[in-house]
Amino acid sequence: MLGKSLLTGMAVTLRELFRKNVTEEYPEVQPELGDRFRGGRLDLVVSKCIACGLCMNNCPNGSIKLKTVKDENNKRQLDSYIHNTGLCLFCNLCVEVCPTKCLVWSKEFAYAGYSRDALVFDCMALDRERIHREEQSQTTEEKG
Amino acid sequence: MQTQTFELNMGPQHPATHGVLRVVLELDGEIVVKATPVIGYLHRGIEKICENRTYVQSIPFTDRMDYLSGMNNNLAICQTIEKLMALEIPERAEYIRVITAELNRIASHMITIGVLALDLGGWTGMVYCFRDRERILDLFNSLCGARMTFNYIRVGGVGWDLPEGWLDECRRFLKDLPEMLKTYEDLISGNEILQMRLKGVAPLSAERAIAMSASGAVLRASGVDYDVRKANPYGIYDRFDFEVPLGTSGDNWDRFYLRYLEIIQSARIIEQALEQIPEGPVMAKVPKMIKPPVGEVYHHVENPRGDLGFYLVSDGSPKPYRWHARRPAMINLQLLDELSRGTFIADVVATLGTLDPVLGEVDC
Amino acid sequence: MNTNQDILLTIAATLRSFLDPLLGNPDVVDVTMYGVALAAILGIIFGNAVILVWAERKVAGYMQSRPGPNRVGPIGLLQTVADTIKLITKEDIRPKGVDRWVWFLAPVVLFVPTLAAYAVFPFSEGLIAVDLNIGLFYFLAVASTVTIPFLMAGWSSNNKYSLIGGMRSVAQMVSYEIPLVFSLIGVVMLVGSLKMSSIVEAQSGIWFIFLQPVAFLIYVIAATAETNRTPFDLVEGESEIVAGPMTEYSGMKWSLFFLAEYANLFAVSAIATTVFLGGWQPPPMPAVMRDAVAFIPGWIWFAAKTYFMIFLFMWFRWTFPRFRVDQLMSFGWKVLLPLALANILVTGVGIYAYRIAIGG
Repeated sequence: MLGKSLLTGMAVTLRELFRKNVTEEYPEVQPELGDRFRGGRLDLVVSKCIACGLCMNNCPNGSIKLKTVKDENNKRQLDSYIHNTGLCLFCNLCVEVCPTKCLVWSKEFAYAGYSRDALVFDCMALDRERIHREEQSQTTEEKG
Repeated sequence: MQTQTFELNMGPQHPATHGVLRVVLELDGEIVVKATPVIGYLHRGIEKICENRTYVQSIPFTDRMDYLSGMNNNLAICQTIEKLMALEIPERAEYIRVITAELNRIASHMITIGVLALDLGGWTGMVYCFRDRERILDLFNSLCGARMTFNYIRVGGVGWDLPEGWLDECRRFLKDLPEMLKTYEDLISGNEILQMRLKGVAPLSAERAIAMSASGAVLRASGVDYDVRKANPYGIYDRFDFEVPLGTSGDNWDRFYLRYLEIIQSARIIEQALEQIPEGPVMAKVPKMIKPPVGEVYHHVENPRGDLGFYLVSDGSPKPYRWHARRPAMINLQLLDELSRGTFIADVVATLGTLDPVLGEVDC
Repeated sequence: MNTNQDILLTIAATLRSFLDPLLGNPDVVDVTMYGVALAAILGIIFGNAVILVWAERKVAGYMQSRPGPNRVGPIGLLQTVADTIKLITKEDIRPKGVDRWVWFLAPVVLFVPTLAAYAVFPFSEGLIAVDLNIGLFYFLAVASTVTIPFLMAGWSSNNKYSLIGGMRSVAQMVSYEIPLVFSLIGVVMLVGSLKMSSIVEAQSGIWFIFLQPVAFLIYVIAATAETNRTPFDLVEGESEIVAGPMTEYSGMKWSLFFLAEYANLFAVSAIATTVFLGGWQPPPMPAVMRDAVAFIPGWIWFAAKTYFMIFLFMWFRWTFPRFRVDQLMSFGWKVLLPLALANILVTGVGIYAYRIAIGG
């Protein structure tokens, strides 16, 4: 009969009107991304890196640029490590291929900037900052 | 009275063109005389990109073709490469592949149903479909850390084993699925206005569907029983008991409702797979650098949008000599002009919705 | 008359007694009072638009399992204010090739009949700007001119989407005007008057929705079409013709369209309340309870019923998909119009039979 299905539809929306909504109120409630989440920039642990360049070679889109130098023992050392998240596909191939597991995702998802430069991260500088922060917190703990 | 047709540019920025499709409509009042889809606004040259990448590196690019069904694309390219290498896949990985691919099919069809409701003016239906699809995306996120661009199915297996409790979560989703479908039935597909809008509009005969090389729900709506999962079973699809829903007249309603029925069948496949899934490894022994033997291979799978095929030519080097995709959305979209002629502007939107192109795949 | 005087009427009487010695001439006082009424109506329209925009978004939100606006002000109440400020500060773009004056006038002209229609709404007993003896007729006559500004906007925008929308609006509104009028005729036949206050007073025994259920149904459907709301929002037809006649408008001009849409929504709901739902009178109930609720002024009942009707229209909008243009026309001419005519016939026969029964 004409109209019956319209009433069923209206019943559906009316029922929903009194149900709890499913929205996550974002800035207050942060989403649960899980430990496998791939996103943000690459956090590089410089001390573990052997500068093999596999991550750069495995990147499908050329988002990782690393330069190496030879030190006095003719061993390769990391000179610079740039992760351009604007080019990154977040495919995880670099993390998987790393022989020393020194790459992890920072799991950030809100790092929009005003220019493309804001998407380019110098992972070595970030690592130095992280170490510096850790040292500082350690000293404050010791003092405390 | 002398009248004159006029041209109307629908898109590339238009609320109902599913991305950046431009349709040049020649109109006689509200009636369509000719509809020319203009494609290419999202062209990234993925085929050429992938010919300059190693085999493994091309997998993430397939995620970005039909971005609503990344798992099925991953599955297609990986099985093509495996066919080229003659690689055996562990049992557990095969089952995980089936589960994820079918879940992705459900997610993709939910979007098709919801977006069609939106194109016909029913906002709320779209929101419900997206809300329920979120459950699947959450499952995928806990599985591989991405919601749409998975890169989960890999050459030789899958990227990660299932996390703890994932199967229970999946079962819980399947338990809630009938209620979701009931909601869609009540609000969207059962609605008389919507049925009036879709039934008998833009019919496609079986002969024309075959002649235009249509596939997927568009072909089956015309009554042609062709589903790659049945016709040419890949992976372990021959182990499952499921039906291929068929339409009769091939009109917009058949194309729309078929997707609804396919969700039910996909849920059946997942249920069986969840029961049968064995323990074991999820990754076969694959060399670090994949160098398939010289040769060519074509492999196709049933993507939510149709028959997705990959054609690879290997010259023995780490990179494919030729990397070609048969994109079902692209081929189905060619029917738009034929189906739209003589219908109203509002029907063009509906026809576009039931043909269900994803512009990432059309333009590739 | 009513023992406990309505507070709004008291204010009006006080104002009048204050103005009387000040202005002297009773005609001047009358004109001033009309000015006050006009200001009050403008206040109602703007206040309502603010509430209705917020309410629509809230209703839509809750129906779609999301909270709706909830950031600006308590439970998002100031959202409309923020939106209005945004719209005022937006650039007023005038595309190339528009018919300048027609394009500029369309949103303004649209607002005028809407405003004029409010003059005859009986918000409560005695609380009516002008109680015309042809009140209902006046409303229908004024409201039917709403078509013209839509066509003006569609024609002058120099945009094909707008033109299609303008043409659709003419086709749709003209076809649905007729069942709308015919659905009201049944009630007019029962009352024997077009005066708004007498229509309401005639319902002191029983509301006309119970005597004229078919007419009410036809009215609700036709009114949805008149206000361009889903399932009859072909004029805007977002997924087909972008925004119809409003496609090229921006900033305050666009918001005038928006304001008029909500003012129209309130207007058709108020007419439904007046004609079918007993206007300012409380719902039918036993005498004991009637005394208990006697302290509630009539305009509260009126507002409650009107808002219920508005909720109904919102409910439609967030549930149904849209008709196609040919289906819309055939539904209007082939279903609604015969039904409305049949309703008039049945009403006429019923009244005749009733008279014979009374007389015999």
